[in-house]
Amino acid sequence: MTSLSDILTDIVADVDAVFLFGPNGSFYEQFDEIQDVVVIGAENTVEAETFVELPIPFADIKDRIKFGIEGAMDDDLVGEGDVVACIGSLFSDDADFASRVRVDETMRSGIYELFTNSRADPAVISDVFDVALELGRKGQKGKPVGALFVVGDAGKVMNKSRPLSYNPFEKSHVHVGDPIVNVMLKEFSRLDGAFVISDSGKIVSAYRYLEPSAEGVDIPKGLGARHMAGGAITRDTNATSIVLSESDGLVRAFKGGKLILELDPEEY
Amino acid sequence: MIGPLQSLERAFSAVSPRIWLAIVVLAVGVVVAYLVAGITSRLLDRLGVVETIEGTSFERTTNEFGTSTARIITQLSALFTFLIAVFVAITVAELRFGDLFWSAVAVFVPQLFAALVILVVGVVIADKVELVVSERLRGIKLPDIGLLPLVAKYSVLFVAVLIALSQIGVAVLALIVLLGAYAFALIVFTALATQDILASGTAGVYLLLTQPYSIGDEIKVGGQQGIVQEVDLLVTRIETDSEEYIIPNRTVLKDGIVRIRNR
Repeated sequence: MTSLSDILTDIVADVDAVFLFGPNGSFYEQFDEIQDVVVIGAENTVEAETFVELPIPFADIKDRIKFGIEGAMDDDLVGEGDVVACIGSLFSDDADFASRVRVDETMRSGIYELFTNSRADPAVISDVFDVALELGRKGQKGKPVGALFVVGDAGKVMNKSRPLSYNPFEKSHVHVGDPIVNVMLKEFSRLDGAFVISDSGKIVSAYRYLEPSAEGVDIPKGLGARHMAGGAITRDTNATSIVLSESDGLVRAFKGGKLILELDPEEY
Repeated sequence: MIGPLQSLERAFSAVSPRIWLAIVVLAVGVVVAYLVAGITSRLLDRLGVVETIEGTSFERTTNEFGTSTARIITQLSALFTFLIAVFVAITVAELRFGDLFWSAVAVFVPQLFAALVILVVGVVIADKVELVVSERLRGIKLPDIGLLPLVAKYSVLFVAVLIALSQIGVAVLALIVLLGAYAFALIVFTALATQDILASGTAGVYLLLTQPYSIGDEIKVGGQQGIVQEVDLLVTRIETDSEEYIIPNRTVLKDGIVRIRNR
């Protein structure tokens, strides 16, 4: 007869690395003796040697683990076929789950690359995500809104689009992440068209009509013109698109013409 | 019959009333000195001086000797007040011996007091400056950076010593010349080292305010042509399909901008 601790032993048996998701200081110290500990979290509070930064606190634990593994693969901390034990907190602030994951290349969904290998600053992309998620959660005066943010490679994006009206951000120096910006973007999201944001986070323009060629863009059927435009522009340029859908309220990210990430604002 | 009481009375009357007055002045001086000490320590506490200088090495040294910076200043001020009372008392008593000597001392003591206070304040400020600078530089991981806080500390210390010495009338002309040369070198080297950054910064302010070109425009600067991707305070980034040029803003202003019109 197997006891409960035997099952736990099976989960962590012969693992190549241990992933700790947002551990606190004293919990991390217990892993002092163990080799190949990777800490994954929003901030490296425990000053771990190997650390993968989470740009957004993925509500789905699968996304969180996938992001951590992709990050670790990118830094050559783990490779194909390695077995990883993931320990983190699901319900409380303490560590309350353990999981055994086999690393393989199909896990590369591009979520990690979306942040780290984009032209724009990772902080800028996660700021835009924050804005989109908040907009999706609260909507505009309680009604659902849609919005399209094109982040990075702004020069090229501007040349592949035309203004729908006067640009409210002309001669302004507003950056995403500035305190008042969320309110501003919320107000302007009532207008149609895309927001163009530069690599360093400057809001270049609102009201842009994107004119990419839609050839070879592979996005799920059923998404509207906004997603099509957002997806297609990332194929023509090196930009990343973050789209808030008006109909289903989800936030989607496109890169290289492909849908990379889908988040539900209600969960954040 | 002369009683002990009468002899005491006679002895008292032999002493001139001026001496009595002097003794009273001295007694008042002691009380005032005590009060001054109390007020100074309260004042230092209220102004947050005690907290501000916490952790400086001077404070730590004084702590080793079982005292504190605040207490030293308090004691100095009390001592000074008491000395003034002593001088007043001597004047009142009209003690004739060494008149010249006392008048010289009466001038010198306040100066010495000021010099001492300036020195203590200077040492404390120097320590604090060292702490603040090294705190600021903590983020920069460079081993030799530790020199900078020391330089800042000794600069402040040097000025403090200079002021203190000039207070007590020591010839400091040579030291002032040295200070001048040091400050001059500092300014010249800083200006030399940062002139490119300053020039680019001022040009950048102009470019950001007037925006002769904005992100997405195609421009040519000094033979390099491309689409503007980013304009910040110091550089402008323009880009072609294969190359990215990072152009300092001073070059942009110096060489002028050519805007390419496509439509």
